[in-house]
Amino acid sequence: MNPPLAAWLLMAAALFCTGVYGLLTRRNTIAILLSVELMANAVNVNLVAFSRFLGDLAGQVFTLFAVSLTVAEVVVGLAIVVLLYRSRSDIQADRADQLRG
Amino acid sequence: MIALASAALLLPLASFALLAALPQLRRGGLVAGVVSSAFALVSLTCATLLLLDVAAQPGMETGVAPVLWVRDWLPHAGTSLARLGVRVDGVSAGMTFIVSLVASAVQVYSLGYMAHEGKPSIGRYFAWQSLFLFAMLSLVLAPDLLQAFAGWELVGLCSYLLIGFYYQKPSAAKAAVKAFWVTKFADMGLLAGLVLMRWKLGTWEWDGIEPGPYVAAVALLIFVGAMGKSAQFPLHVWLPDAMEGPTPVSALLHAATMVAAGVYLIVRAFPIFEAAGPALQVLAYVGSLTAFIAACTAVVQDDIKKVLAYSTCSQLGYMVAGLGAGSAMAGYFHLTTHAFFKALLFLAAGAAIHAVHSNSIKDMGGLLRRLPGGAVLFITGALALMGIPGFSGFFSKDLILEVLEEEHLWVPFALCLASAGLTAFYMGRVIFVAYLGKPAHDTGKLHTPWVMAAPMAVLAVLAIFAGLLGPTVAGLVGGEYHFALSPAGIAALVFAFGGLGVAWFLYGGAPRTTFDFLAPVGAFIRSGPMDKLYETGWRSGLLVVAAAAGWWDRYIVDGLMNLTGWAVMEGGQRARRLQTGKAPDYVLVVVVALIVLAAWGLFSTGATAGVVGGAP
Repeated sequence: MNPPLAAWLLMAAALFCTGVYGLLTRRNTIAILLSVELMANAVNVNLVAFSRFLGDLAGQVFTLFAVSLTVAEVVVGLAIVVLLYRSRSDIQADRADQLRG
Repeated sequence: MIALASAALLLPLASFALLAALPQLRRGGLVAGVVSSAFALVSLTCATLLLLDVAAQPGMETGVAPVLWVRDWLPHAGTSLARLGVRVDGVSAGMTFIVSLVASAVQVYSLGYMAHEGKPSIGRYFAWQSLFLFAMLSLVLAPDLLQAFAGWELVGLCSYLLIGFYYQKPSAAKAAVKAFWVTKFADMGLLAGLVLMRWKLGTWEWDGIEPGPYVAAVALLIFVGAMGKSAQFPLHVWLPDAMEGPTPVSALLHAATMVAAGVYLIVRAFPIFEAAGPALQVLAYVGSLTAFIAACTAVVQDDIKKVLAYSTCSQLGYMVAGLGAGSAMAGYFHLTTHAFFKALLFLAAGAAIHAVHSNSIKDMGGLLRRLPGGAVLFITGALALMGIPGFSGFFSKDLILEVLEEEHLWVPFALCLASAGLTAFYMGRVIFVAYLGKPAHDTGKLHTPWVMAAPMAVLAVLAIFAGLLGPTVAGLVGGEYHFALSPAGIAALVFAFGGLGVAWFLYGGAPRTTFDFLAPVGAFIRSGPMDKLYETGWRSGLLVVAAAAGWWDRYIVDGLMNLTGWAVMEGGQRARRLQTGKAPDYVLVVVVALIVLAAWGLFSTGATAGVVGGAP
């Protein structure tokens, strides 16, 4: 069985919206990072789906790059979270407001 | 000829430079005075030789071909802004002689008069006297109006410095500032005239002015400057106050020479005034009005120097009126004789003040017996001023009345005639009260040093005989003069003797009360109505304008500035709340913005949609 393109796109959109919802509602920094991952992967799904249906491998190659870049980003993000925890013993995002104007 | 003129001009400058550069000399007291006087006397010698030289020139008699020695100043593109140097002709040679003669006489006289001052003060005094002589001569010998203006301002400065000589006295300091302000105010008119002349007529030369649309304006603006310097109504208020200076200064600056600079400027620039046409008559009216008002004021003064100051004002009015009648000769002739007899009067009054230690004629009394020499000199000057036949003032005053009559300027003629009577009256009053009347208290003999007497004697000789120089003066100015007793002259004589008679009637013997009903008028004039008018004008006019301008500046200009600053501060305070420092808030903004942009891309069409929603 082969689901149509629209199904893939709907699934990716649902995934993206879940990520946005998590990004806006979660206060825990790690949860926010997870939400960002969801959004990034929703985009990856789109890329792969279009690659498959248009018969152009460039999309899948692009996705590989995106995945590895996301990994690097997560590393930096988690490192920030660790340092935040060490300095403030608190990783709630809405309480880290020292850059307030 | 140029060499003589330059020497006469530069010697006083050298004397000033010496006194300014050598503090030991300046603080040496009378030594400084002797040096300054010696330079002035050499300058006088040069001026005398120059005058004789000029008078002997055949071409000079008709006023043509002045001898010039000039250098271009600020040359540019084949032309130059102005010319500096000396211009020798009849008018300037005559004035150079008058100025250096009176200045020398006054400086020698000052050696006696100022002897009791402190040594540094004497040095300061003579340094300024030298500077004044240089400034006045640079004005007199100026080849064009710009140099004349520079000299004009410089004599104004010297006047300020010398009026304020007793600067410890608040009244003297105030008088100096007042003289400076009033004359500077008038000089704004002169400056505007110079600018207009350069702009519209393209020249600062004395002659060669053709009648044109701007000539009258230029002439009247120059006259405004002359009104300030020559104390014409209503800018005369500074001259009586200027009597706060030492009496020799009053004699030189505020009687004989500096105040006559305005008259001299008009004579010098007479081609401009002649080209101005009917505007010239303004001079006749202003001059005669000044003559009359000042004479009225002189009648009620008790301070002998104030009487002479108002008299100077009045006589300057005569000169201006004569010029206004179109006769440069009349103004210049009266300037000449007035310089001699008024300097004499001031110096003789100074001798009386020096001896009695008071300015009031009521403190003097009986001076003819107590100070016979000084009294005879003063009465000589007074007779010349009154216009008694035989004395110099008679000839020149007569000429002015004559030209006014010839031009049918009846109002100025009547005012000048009345002033002639008033002049005789107030001078008669001074003579009868101070010189013939009973002494108030002290009756001892008084003494005048010979250094003071000798210059006065020289001036007295000139005060008597200068009237006979009429034809010579006419030759210098470039006109003709033959003495003839006209009806106007006879009328003036009647008025003069009438005034003298009234003075004798009132003050000659026991005090009379015939005119006591006029006392309130006298008190009103004595209270200085013009000064009060200026003060009121100042308070109600200028200060109100200043207050309005201040309000505008404080509340509108500053208000706008403050409003801008306040708005920025307040806006910043409010805007800083946007930066919460919390990442979730920023994310929310980003997401909302994304949704808005996406909606915009979906629902709009055309080029705008292309930017956000993809390729059009």
